[in-house]
Amino acid sequence: MSSRQLAMVMDLNKCIGCQTCTVACKTQWTNRNGREYMYWNNVETFPGSGYPKKWQESGGGFDAAGDLKPGIIPTIESDYGVPWDYNYEELAKGLEFSPSIEPTWGPNWDEDEGAGNFPEDNYFFYIPRICNHCSNPGCLSACPRDAVFKRDQDGVVLVDLDRCQGYRYCIAGCPYKKIYFNPKISKSEKCILCFPRIEQGLPPACAQQCVGRIRFVGFLDDEDSQVYKLVHKYKVALPLRSDYGTEPNVYYVPPTEAPPKFDANGKIIEDSTRIPIVELEKLFGEEVRGAIKTVKDEIKKRKETGESELMDLLIAYNHDDMFRLDNDYYQDYAKKSKLSPFKLIDTRYSSGKNSKSMKFFNPSSSEAY
Amino acid sequence: MKRFLKITMIVCLLSSLLLANETIKAMKVPGNVSDISPTSKAWLSATYQNVILYPQTTIKTNDRDANELNINNGAKKVRVKAIYDGKNISFLIKWKDSTQSIQDTYSSTVYADGFAMQFPVEYKNVDRLPYIGMGSKGRAVIIHLQKATGDIYEPNGGDDVYYQINEDNQNVFEEELQKYIDEVKSRAINDYQRVFISEGFRSMTQIKDNSTIGKMQMIYKNGYWRGSLSRPLKAEYLNLNSSVFPIAFAVWDGDKKNRAGLKLLSSWIKVNLVGKSGENKIAIDLNSEVKGDVVNGAKIAQNNCTACHRYKDIDMAPDYMAPNLTNIGGYATTEYLMESIIDPNAVIVPGYNRNAHKNFYWYELDEDGVRTSIMPSYDWLDKKSREDLVAFLKTLKAEVK
Repeated sequence: MSSRQLAMVMDLNKCIGCQTCTVACKTQWTNRNGREYMYWNNVETFPGSGYPKKWQESGGGFDAAGDLKPGIIPTIESDYGVPWDYNYEELAKGLEFSPSIEPTWGPNWDEDEGAGNFPEDNYFFYIPRICNHCSNPGCLSACPRDAVFKRDQDGVVLVDLDRCQGYRYCIAGCPYKKIYFNPKISKSEKCILCFPRIEQGLPPACAQQCVGRIRFVGFLDDEDSQVYKLVHKYKVALPLRSDYGTEPNVYYVPPTEAPPKFDANGKIIEDSTRIPIVELEKLFGEEVRGAIKTVKDEIKKRKETGESELMDLLIAYNHDDMFRLDNDYYQDYAKKSKLSPFKLIDTRYSSGKNSKSMKFFNPSSSEAY
Repeated sequence: MKRFLKITMIVCLLSSLLLANETIKAMKVPGNVSDISPTSKAWLSATYQNVILYPQTTIKTNDRDANELNINNGAKKVRVKAIYDGKNISFLIKWKDSTQSIQDTYSSTVYADGFAMQFPVEYKNVDRLPYIGMGSKGRAVIIHLQKATGDIYEPNGGDDVYYQINEDNQNVFEEELQKYIDEVKSRAINDYQRVFISEGFRSMTQIKDNSTIGKMQMIYKNGYWRGSLSRPLKAEYLNLNSSVFPIAFAVWDGDKKNRAGLKLLSSWIKVNLVGKSGENKIAIDLNSEVKGDVVNGAKIAQNNCTACHRYKDIDMAPDYMAPNLTNIGGYATTEYLMESIIDPNAVIVPGYNRNAHKNFYWYELDEDGVRTSIMPSYDWLDKKSREDLVAFLKTLKAEVK
């Protein structure tokens, strides 16, 4: 356990599956150096196989007695998907447009398929997933080298790349399969909750860029944070698959709003719900019933009285309230713990300071950009 | 049946006694052996010594597929040679592996074949050698490791982000793109060899200050790997400038998803620098003969050990409770077994991450970081019982396949 825990809440009612978060993360962290196949942030369609394929059936996590359960390690070819490209250069020579490999699987292969019959009772919704920065991480417990650690200041789970020897037991141990093997450096890598950004008071890139404003970020012990209110005060945000026993710290407001079902004649079935509650219970536990009731009650209250703190929270008026990241806290923590100022892994994007001298495309003519 | 068991055990005991006398004779050669390849002619002056490697079964890994692949692992006979020039020493290990596994593809599930050689930092007292599994607290080991990999890159490539970008994402073409690809490739490390210092599971730390240099190579031919290590006899942390010292070997089979503890491991084996005399001359009597009643030892183990330890088909103890002893007779020395029975705190096997199996701590940890084994001392057993028990434990090992 860390002394404090940073957490994220995602409001699934508002996720439109646009993948802006995915792209924000990818361009910031995983478009290079062996991380090309990884999606530290992905948005998957539920019901569906997810990413990597069937991650919910791949083992890891803890049993009731607290023992780490065995798991499997997904393969890039069949479970994550090999990132393919096209033969743009050869098009000029008259060749046919074709992918570099025959794609057989990839993230979002089954996007928007969902379940049920159209138009009577088909349904699906999106779940964005990042590392859950668990309080009892399966990856950390599985590492035979003590290379995975949980930061004391905010509970962010990180891999010490100096200690990591690429054994990959962490991947088997993580029930969410949110830690990845980098074959180019032969070490494991994972979502770092954009710690170089949060230490400067900026939210993680995925949260900052979210067009639906579905993501809230803050410390769980900060009673003024919206994260605290959604998780502890109103109890409408629930952890994903908490039955894995890892005590995840990303919380979801379950999807409460969906059109009603239609009968065989195309008529609306009053008071019907398209998303089966039992499916939501599998993801978010029995508490999902209470969470849905609270949200619905507050919607009603708002309609009748015009007042509802919860509705104001979920409308997400402004970023400053949604993200409570205290830069001074990190500075004070560093001073107290006598930490030397950290070096940014990649300074190109930090506070936009270096964006003018970016040499991504052409190192010799950076002025042009 | 009982009679058969007795005969089997005696045979096992005899074979272990024969092995107890195994010694690698390092021959002195003229010239310099500071960087000798497995194909060098210098090896002709030495003869092979057989060494048996046993499946490391102390802990159970959490990789379901790997566990299944390794469930019936037998022991493996490997052959070892050594030569020295007065300043440097070289070891050659040759082992059969019908499947060559090189970790050189864009894959999350390919594992490399590899080998390692381990030396105790302190070895004057044979009764108190480091734990065979990567040393133990206060008893450090030096480990030289090589894995068969393709190009491996530094995690942060010298802080230069530009050369980490995927070639498909460059908007340069043809010659310029080729130049970029060549430059990226020139930054690769295509020889995965490392030196570690370690005081037990989880403590292994890479020596990166060049104070210990080892030159390793591995070559695959006709279904056999041959791996060599050349290193100075004396370097920081480790002085092998002695007529006799111990060494241990490990090999990994990538095809069986071997890595980390999932490997084949030898016991401490004696190396004798032939012709070496004078200073530091010590006699190391490793794996000294135990005269014990194996059948009585089995009974003592049944009555005293099985509540916590599993071995072979004895599985009354909960999983994860204590080190699994199925191959303890293969890789542990007689001296270690005797010491651990009397003083379980002398060597505490760190076991699993303390978060992985919360009900089964192998040791208590106080505020000062001092570890106390949860195993009670069996010093109350009389001398004969202890010897019988050790004689039995020495029979616990897989057969050579």
